[in-house]
Amino acid sequence: MNDPYDVSGVFPDGTLTELPAGTNVAIVGPSMIGKRKLALRLLAAGYETGDGILCITTDSAKTVCEDLEAYVDTLDRNRIGVVDTSGSDGQDLLDVTIETVSSPSDLTGISIGTSKLFKHFESRGISDIRYGLISVSTLLQYLDSQTVFQFLHVYTKRIGDTGGLGIYTLNNASHDPQVINTITGEFDALIELQEVESGDVEFRVRGLDQRATAWNTLPPADD
Amino acid sequence: MTEQGKPVVLIAEDEQSVAEGYELWLGDQYETRLASDGQEALDIVDDTVDVVLLDRMMPERSGKEVLRIIREEGIDCRVAMVTAVEPDFDVIEMGFDAYITKPPERQELFDTIDQLLNRATVSDAFQTYYSLMARKGVIQTQKTDAELADNEDYQELLDRIETMRETVNDGLGDMESEIGFVSAVREVEGEMDSDDDTELDATDDSDLEGGTQ
Repeated sequence: MNDPYDVSGVFPDGTLTELPAGTNVAIVGPSMIGKRKLALRLLAAGYETGDGILCITTDSAKTVCEDLEAYVDTLDRNRIGVVDTSGSDGQDLLDVTIETVSSPSDLTGISIGTSKLFKHFESRGISDIRYGLISVSTLLQYLDSQTVFQFLHVYTKRIGDTGGLGIYTLNNASHDPQVINTITGEFDALIELQEVESGDVEFRVRGLDQRATAWNTLPPADD
Repeated sequence: MTEQGKPVVLIAEDEQSVAEGYELWLGDQYETRLASDGQEALDIVDDTVDVVLLDRMMPERSGKEVLRIIREEGIDCRVAMVTAVEPDFDVIEMGFDAYITKPPERQELFDTIDQLLNRATVSDAFQTYYSLMARKGVIQTQKTDAELADNEDYQELLDRIETMRETVNDGLGDMESEIGFVSAVREVEGEMDSDDDTELDATDDSDLEGGTQ
């Protein structure tokens, strides 16, 4: 099994510094609080040391790559792959390997794209892969919650069985609480975000076989 | 599956001696049907067939074409491609659920068929697992963690969830294999198309009433 994934520098010292291989972590919070940004930072945190990034996005590949560039020096075609479900052609990105899927509801297409990119990484000797799925909320807009739940079960098991790291975003303000609870039951850990009166964003971690941490301020990214 | 209860395996193979060899191996455990070309395979296949062993190169219709028609017609069976050449990624994209390289080992043939049969039966367990998780999700909105920690019914629900999760995972098999992963996702999508009653009785937590109030 792979070594743990380094996430140091994202959270305050003494909190979360690494995640075990095979872990699936969902970032949960309301709109506009920075879930996507945090997800991209976690995906990018191992890039300089050779990890691959495999991102399923409901935005275009172009948007995701532009945003990722804030956290990595240069994107290397061999270590970043995007499954673009936005319906855009994605042809204008020469430095990224892209699999396009016509719609976020095409789960089989997503799984084929993911597998192809995995093989692409594997053939280049990259075995530590950070998977992003941004976002689960969009899947829930296209598909019923049982289908999304079952897909996530299979998908998280795939990441678990291959020793990857899975990062997901989920907007807990746009779905019923019981749906959020049911869906989040499939992840090994949750990073919950909330905004406090001062305007700071706080986070806490639940899961990973320990009690929920206290709320801590999430330092802004120095980008 | 037929009334006799044995899973049905359709062997679509144009070389008679090879087909008979498979039949000899599989005959005790499964009900086997033989097709000697692609068209005959299509004539025979129906919802009673559980697994099709489909030779890639056959007269009349190729394995690829037979698979496409099986999928288009929505016939509920899993299809393994049997191929002499190490398959490329296109086998996964075509929609095969597994592949077997020729000539197969006896054990490999049994393992592949068993895995596909398991995956076919996982949907019931998956349904139950989801409904238990949905129930847990509802209960979590109604009671605090501290209340739930002491609630025996809730703890029992967690045990049932764990058991069902293991059943589902056994049925899914190893997700390290790309073709297995894609096939499992296709199964989830197929389930969505065929299932109308996805709204489960998730709000029924009556067995928790009076727990730790």
